[in-house]
Amino acid sequence: MSATTTRPPLRGRASAAPSRPRGPAGAQNGRAKRVVGRALLALLLAVFLLWTVVPLAWMLLGSFKSAVDVTSSTPKLLFEPTLDNYVGLFTGANNLLPYLWHSVAASVASAVLATVLGTLAGYGLARTRGRRKDALSFWFISTRMAPIAAVVLPLFLMFRLAGLIDTIPGLVLAYLSFNLPFAIWIMSAFFERIPSSLEEAAHVSGCTRWQTFWYVALPLSRSGLVTTGVLCLVFSWNDYAFATVVSGPDSQTLPIAATQLVTQTGVDWGQLTAIGTIVVLPMVLVGLAVRKWLVTGLTLGAVTGE
Amino acid sequence: MTSAARHAPTRSAATAGRRFGLTFNGRLMAPGVVILGALSFFPLAALIAMSFSRVRLLGGVRLEWAGLDNWERAFSDPELWRSWGLTILWFTTTLGVEMVLGVAVAVALSRLVRARGVVLALVLLPMFAAPAIVGLLGRYLVDPTFGLYAWMLQGAGLDGDILGDPVTAFVAVALMDVWEWTPLVALITLAGLSGVNPSVLEAAALDGADQWTTFWHVVLPSIQGILLVALLIRSMDAVRYFDVITVTTNGGPADATKIIPLRLYEAAFRFFDLGYAAVIGLMMLVLTIAIARLFVRILSGKGARP
Repeated sequence: MSATTTRPPLRGRASAAPSRPRGPAGAQNGRAKRVVGRALLALLLAVFLLWTVVPLAWMLLGSFKSAVDVTSSTPKLLFEPTLDNYVGLFTGANNLLPYLWHSVAASVASAVLATVLGTLAGYGLARTRGRRKDALSFWFISTRMAPIAAVVLPLFLMFRLAGLIDTIPGLVLAYLSFNLPFAIWIMSAFFERIPSSLEEAAHVSGCTRWQTFWYVALPLSRSGLVTTGVLCLVFSWNDYAFATVVSGPDSQTLPIAATQLVTQTGVDWGQLTAIGTIVVLPMVLVGLAVRKWLVTGLTLGAVTGE
Repeated sequence: MTSAARHAPTRSAATAGRRFGLTFNGRLMAPGVVILGALSFFPLAALIAMSFSRVRLLGGVRLEWAGLDNWERAFSDPELWRSWGLTILWFTTTLGVEMVLGVAVAVALSRLVRARGVVLALVLLPMFAAPAIVGLLGRYLVDPTFGLYAWMLQGAGLDGDILGDPVTAFVAVALMDVWEWTPLVALITLAGLSGVNPSVLEAAALDGADQWTTFWHVVLPSIQGILLVALLIRSMDAVRYFDVITVTTNGGPADATKIIPLRLYEAAFRFFDLGYAAVIGLMMLVLTIAIARLFVRILSGKGARP
């Protein structure tokens, strides 16, 4: 890729482009064009911003609407806000608390486990060289990218044999199947960025390999550690495909609870938008907290942010 | 793994330390590798075994040898091939729209002088939403009697049940995917744009290239590595995710949105034809491994780093 990124300025090609008159009239024409171009880009951004924000804002508003307002045939922007939907979710017969607990327990446990194991293995991978590294890298990345449907099917069978269906540990294991390779890969990308001179200096001054890892490499990758943890949390919290197969009444998570509201006769859209808000809001908050390293994390270290 | 040879000569000065280090690295990687091995090799073996068997679930899990039965059925099933066709259509439309729109939004964002942080944060929001919730929210928005978007479309003279018609249903679920993942493409592209050498842009301007020419002949070639990363990341996820479709149309109407993962879930968990589903799973796996290989090759060809 370096061939393309360091390509010299395309002088030849640029000047071969249709040459415009360079006189004052041409300059004016160019300025006008630039203004139009800028206006178009601004318009695009404004429309795109509306397109992204409106659905989420509509969901948030809906969660504070009464049953009548939330399904009003003409959309209502002004309404009497009520907390009924949230209260209903946590009182009533179909209490959301167990689902919330399952979601928190499974996603936090799997995120912590993946981050710890991924940090250790990621450091090992970053400091390994040669053929072994390539083989391991390829294995990690292909486990991460394996289609969920293809993984969930044999897991279902294995979990049935092992009695792990409808248990929180089962859910944690299922989430590890995509969080662990992700954490290894991404932590290794963060470790690779540490200048080797720092570790060599530690080595020379008598640190063991473990001490070098613990006192030099780890503190330098704190941001990577946080990013990894947060992204693992988001992935497992947002999961639906695994939970729908390996969880049962004793381990169902929030996204499952949300879809169950639909299949029952008549959808309570007020409560549904409330669950939606409960699911989306915490992930938005933690996700935006690591915004600086998001690019690195989500491209598995292939792209470095600012 | 053909790139293995390329890494061989990178062995540096501290060879003696490395020889010890290899075991140290190995020890660090051991826990993660063991767990991941259990979570990837067993399922793969199980998947292959299942694809040659009739799987009985009642009275304990049992596999009965069925030879090439499942494979023959899969390759001669026109419905399945129709699903592959739909998957390709889904793939190209969502990815195409996401790439073009994402790049345009990134360019607009990169020109933004004020409030870029806030605007970027708002643009990123959909990425953190659980896909299952995105699907449910989409249903709420296009509901023919009270949906906000359905209401707006009715104002524009387009009425009828959006998710009830094969064509509009496909467009709607594709747009939900576009809504959630265009921000990711924009984020990655933005990181690429910030790495474009300013002096190159100046040179182009001095040569009298207008903005469009500059973008097309200077900016785009210098970020093409990063665009490729974005495309690969998105294409892997496009094979993975299907939550949105499951909770909106569940493949309907008239199988218009039944892409491959849905076909697998249906075969496995509705008809309990697990052997047949395993064949579909293996087909999907081959596709993702091909993409993963491409990804690793690009990374070890070093760096889409700006």
